[in-house]
Amino acid sequence: MPLTPQQIEALRALLDRLIPEDEFPGALAAGTDKFILQLLTHACAAETPIIAQSLTQLDAEAIARHDLPFGKLPIAAQDALIYELEHNRTATAWPTTFPANGFINRLIDLAAEGFYADPANGGNRDASSWRMIGYNPLLPVHPTAP
Amino acid sequence: MSATASTYDVIIIGAGLGGGIAAGVLAEAGQRVLLLERGRDLRYRDIPGDHLRHHRLSLYGDNTTYDPTGHPRVFVDPQGRSRTVFPHEADYHNNALTVGGGARIWGMQAWRFHPDDFRMASRYGTPTGSSLADWPVSYADLAPFYERAEQEIGVAGDHAATDYAPRDRPFPLPPVPATPTGAWLARGAAKLGWNAFTPPLAVNTKPYLGRNACVQCRQCIGFACPTDARNGSHNTLLPRALATGRCTLITRAHVARVLTDASGRAYGVEYFAPTTPDSAQTERRKVHAATIILAGGAIETARLLLLSASAQHPLGLGNHSDHVGRHLQGHYYPVVSGLLPAGFENPNLGPGVSIATTQFNHGNPGIIGGAMLANDFVKLPIIFWRSHLPPDLPRWGLANKKAMRELYLRGIDLRGPVQEIPSPDSRVTLDAHIRDYFGLPVARLSGTTHPETIRTAEYIRARAEDWLRAAGAEHVWSSPMDLRLSASQHQAGTARLAADPRDGVTDPYGRVHGHDNLWVTDGSLNVTNGGFNPALTIMALAFRTATKIAAKS
Repeated sequence: MPLTPQQIEALRALLDRLIPEDEFPGALAAGTDKFILQLLTHACAAETPIIAQSLTQLDAEAIARHDLPFGKLPIAAQDALIYELEHNRTATAWPTTFPANGFINRLIDLAAEGFYADPANGGNRDASSWRMIGYNPLLPVHPTAP
Repeated sequence: MSATASTYDVIIIGAGLGGGIAAGVLAEAGQRVLLLERGRDLRYRDIPGDHLRHHRLSLYGDNTTYDPTGHPRVFVDPQGRSRTVFPHEADYHNNALTVGGGARIWGMQAWRFHPDDFRMASRYGTPTGSSLADWPVSYADLAPFYERAEQEIGVAGDHAATDYAPRDRPFPLPPVPATPTGAWLARGAAKLGWNAFTPPLAVNTKPYLGRNACVQCRQCIGFACPTDARNGSHNTLLPRALATGRCTLITRAHVARVLTDASGRAYGVEYFAPTTPDSAQTERRKVHAATIILAGGAIETARLLLLSASAQHPLGLGNHSDHVGRHLQGHYYPVVSGLLPAGFENPNLGPGVSIATTQFNHGNPGIIGGAMLANDFVKLPIIFWRSHLPPDLPRWGLANKKAMRELYLRGIDLRGPVQEIPSPDSRVTLDAHIRDYFGLPVARLSGTTHPETIRTAEYIRARAEDWLRAAGAEHVWSSPMDLRLSASQHQAGTARLAADPRDGVTDPYGRVHGHDNLWVTDGSLNVTNGGFNPALTIMALAFRTATKIAAKS
């Protein structure tokens, strides 16, 4: 596993706010967390150390502001903190090479990639996001191409 | 080195649109053809339907490359910083790596160039610092070969409405079906007094040449076609070549150099290939032929001409006047997005491109050239999320999720391939340090297109906004164009045609100046790249060049 249990908890809590559940499944129900962990293990392994460090920093940021790790904050405080970080307003020192907004934007992209890509990528279980928006690839069941 | 040096009449390097057509024409003319292709001979099942790794969105790889690290390029940005790039990155300027080339996954727009696209310098003059020039070939010269490409590859279109360039014979296939979005855009165009019609697409709108019709699936551009209705050389001229028994296709074959004698005559090639078709082991081979044709695309063909330098040609083949690799161009694509009115019934079927205008290809006041404008292909959800949500929308949270479900079927965008004003400084050279898997210097891409291109692109962007607004789009937005190197899937210009050897690399039939039996049949030939997708022009030139070679032999 490329992340510690604490980092995974922060990741899951963050994903739950980036693509929340409403009358349709959100990122966690669709398996988007597993999609990201898979990428961090393989295609994006080079990014793993900085993402891991940033997830720890996310908790540090939450603790600095509210004395609680990110995953234990109320939803409204989580959303407010994401918004602050998205605009690079921080209470702790983030790495200069990967500032808070860079981290949040990267996680926003990764979440959407998993959630809206084809189910075989692992983050769009049962094509739930496709059903939500009205997309079906309509590929023939029996392709006739050689 | 393998000792056997077998001999063919013709060796063709690259089995994309140009090479596949040359193989078909020459094998049917009785010549023994060796077709060498870097990629594999991929079937439908071999080209994954991965929405993050295909040829329109290649975030973590693509769906044809088999060695993602063995064949890098070097990209030099406008600030002069260079870095090593890999096939899935935009700065690599990739094209599909397979028998059939880019046409295995292309959008199928099969346009003839406008007659004035062949005489840009005569019509507009040459801006300072640019290499804008006329072709040594006219529209009339190419027209019979355009027709042959339309008939033998299979193009669907509206003959009467496609009247921006003279044409004699109707398309062999009826145009793609009308769509509600197309009808809505047609009303917008009518309000503005613009022409608008169904664009020509190389797709089987009904069964043709023994293959099935398009089933209008929604996983189109960037992927293999599930019914083989997407037309290219891979399902037409190449099977015809193989059926003669005179064409040998070798895949995973990487050509290291074209061999020339003291007189400049090309007598063979050296290449690397697997020892047996499925082996991971490769060997270096030498093969001889009376005629050599380069069809590797504008980046690799230029690289191969440079890699083939000899004592007699120390700067590379055809490079006596320093044109090889220069004038690299593709198309600038202004993209204008908007929203269809609420409640619009959009069935969202493929291929998706259903209406175009050629109103702004030429005759734009104070502007050089222009572009055809058309609506876009059916869009994947992740591409819509990345690039087509309104820019003022939050990128995350419930608001973003709701917008995806409310707006996905209301997304509409227009785009057009802006004719570039070429620059000699936009170029392919050999990198001095980075080598490929076989130890050969890789392509180094540097420079930008000429800045005049930006003015044309901005003009076209404004017209696309006009069109969406006139049609009644609720919200219209787009981004300004920036100066950069442009090549990508429409890569062209690096072995430009010129009647005078001082002005280019190849003669008006595509023969490399100074090398009697060395020819090119790919986008490298294009002096300028038209305000249209260039594939049909590449095909027409390939038919013309191959017919010329067959007649000489």
